[in-house]
Amino acid sequence: MKNSSSYTAIAYLFLAPALILMGIFTFWPVGYNTYLAFNNYSIADGVATWNNFEHFKYIAQEELFHSALKNSLLYLLVVPVIQVAALVVAKLVNNKLPGMTFFRAAYYIPVITAISIAGVVWANVYKYDGMLTWLMQTLHLVPQGPDGQIDWLGNPDIALYMVMLFTFWKGIGYYMVLYLAGLQAIPAEVEEAAILDGANAWDRFWKITVPMVKPTILLCTLLSTIAAIRAFQEIIVLTRGQADTYTALYYVYDQAFRNYNFGRGAAAGLVVTFFCLMLSAIQFRFFGEKK
Amino acid sequence: MSASHSAEKALSASAQDSRNTQKRSRTMASSRKTRLALALAGQYAGLIAFAIFTCFPFVWALSVGLSADPSNTWLFPRSFWPTDPSIMWFERVFTEMPFLAYLKNSTIMSFWTIVAVVVISVLAGYPLARLKFPGRNLIFVAIIATLMLPSEVNIIPNFITLKHLGLLDSYTGAIIPNFAGAFGIFLMKQAFEQIPQDLIDAARVDGATELQILWRVMVPVSAPSIAALSIFTLVNAWNDYLWPSIVMTTRDKLPLAVGVFNDLTGPFAVSTSLVMAAIVLTVLPVLIFFSFTQRYFISGLDGAVK
Repeated sequence: MKNSSSYTAIAYLFLAPALILMGIFTFWPVGYNTYLAFNNYSIADGVATWNNFEHFKYIAQEELFHSALKNSLLYLLVVPVIQVAALVVAKLVNNKLPGMTFFRAAYYIPVITAISIAGVVWANVYKYDGMLTWLMQTLHLVPQGPDGQIDWLGNPDIALYMVMLFTFWKGIGYYMVLYLAGLQAIPAEVEEAAILDGANAWDRFWKITVPMVKPTILLCTLLSTIAAIRAFQEIIVLTRGQADTYTALYYVYDQAFRNYNFGRGAAAGLVVTFFCLMLSAIQFRFFGEKK
Repeated sequence: MSASHSAEKALSASAQDSRNTQKRSRTMASSRKTRLALALAGQYAGLIAFAIFTCFPFVWALSVGLSADPSNTWLFPRSFWPTDPSIMWFERVFTEMPFLAYLKNSTIMSFWTIVAVVVISVLAGYPLARLKFPGRNLIFVAIIATLMLPSEVNIIPNFITLKHLGLLDSYTGAIIPNFAGAFGIFLMKQAFEQIPQDLIDAARVDGATELQILWRVMVPVSAPSIAALSIFTLVNAWNDYLWPSIVMTTRDKLPLAVGVFNDLTGPFAVSTSLVMAAIVLTVLPVLIFFSFTQRYFISGLDGAVK
């Protein structure tokens, strides 16, 4: 048996590749972003000069960033919807009934599709004479004929919600799989006993399933909250920020790679990071301890 | 006499009672059976409705891609069934865009990402799970905390870093930021924690080095988790859009998710049929791969949520 100091050397040796790569591509960017946010960065020669909070002052009074932040926070609406739906769906496919493998796979297809590719298809769903218009007209929820042909992604009142629906469609399978893994850890006897005691499905869901998958609920809520705050790729592929769908990270991207103002982009990114950490902390307080 | 009488009475009463219970339980059983059947029907109705919701865009895309005659593309629900079926649009995808080049790029990039992610996560997961050393908790918390950061914010610094390293517009540059991730390390740590200590102790007594223990004992036992991690990584690498679209500038080096998207929203946007055929061809490889491996996927993720 070796002594503990030689384990320390081995441990760090094993961890080295991960720590070096994460250091360069995950931890360093956080520090460098903070640095950039307080400087004017010139792309041509890579020189950064201190600018006395200029970027923060700028975005604090800029209308565009305000609406971007508002849209990102509004995007959080998708979190409770997707979580409840994913848990219910996971519950439905967590049965020993024929066809469950098929349904699981069917729900997972959107997850394994590239967001860019899925976006191209959904642009056709949302076209003014596309599938959504047809569905709504068939259900008589919008007027027939050209009057009911809504440009779902072009109308500033609804475009953001349409992008959220896309996020819901794309992400539900992912959370379903996580919940499924959590559900399969619940012994079948617990539920059988409750059935014998005459508990109905509703009670069983709230009194057994929900408490027993609580750690998974925390994990999934955390992941989807962060995903909602950083909603951005779906914006790129669907609306390019048109029609009041400009989100905070879209602002970061726009400033950095269209205006080439890396400093201002980094400052906005820092604000988004701050929101992410704050929301995570709140959730840990809510779900974390009561176990 | 009166005693026997009352006993008889009691007996008949209890007989009646049991008859009543039997009757009640029979009606209860039949009503329970209908309730169960109804619940089952409702369950399948919900499952099918939801499957329609998740699959309809692909069914439509497939049907439009298979229709030689595009005139019904915007006629619903007619367009969910191909008109004049043929694979001509699929053939045109190969002739009109460098689809095979994109496919090759995606394959190369996904393959190396999987190899790197698995090796790095296995190496990092082992000490975090099984070795005692100073700084372990700090490192683990730091790694997990990165899950809470919006990784898109990293694109600006990473772009600058890669520029300095001269890795812009290269395969390596497009995939290297994904090599070390909290998810993979966490998954492998959870998997290694479930292995009995006896196995490790026995190997140590036999004089095995830590690397041998990892390779000969831990890795084979954790195969389901490694499979899940590989599948997960493949799906992510295959579909990664944002970062390659920023790093890659040469068209011939683009992966499918970027190349096909650029082509579809650019020069080919005119023909919906061609667009949908290309989309089906892009989704198909992952779909086939996933359908063969999905049972490993869910069982392998078990440890992650416990």
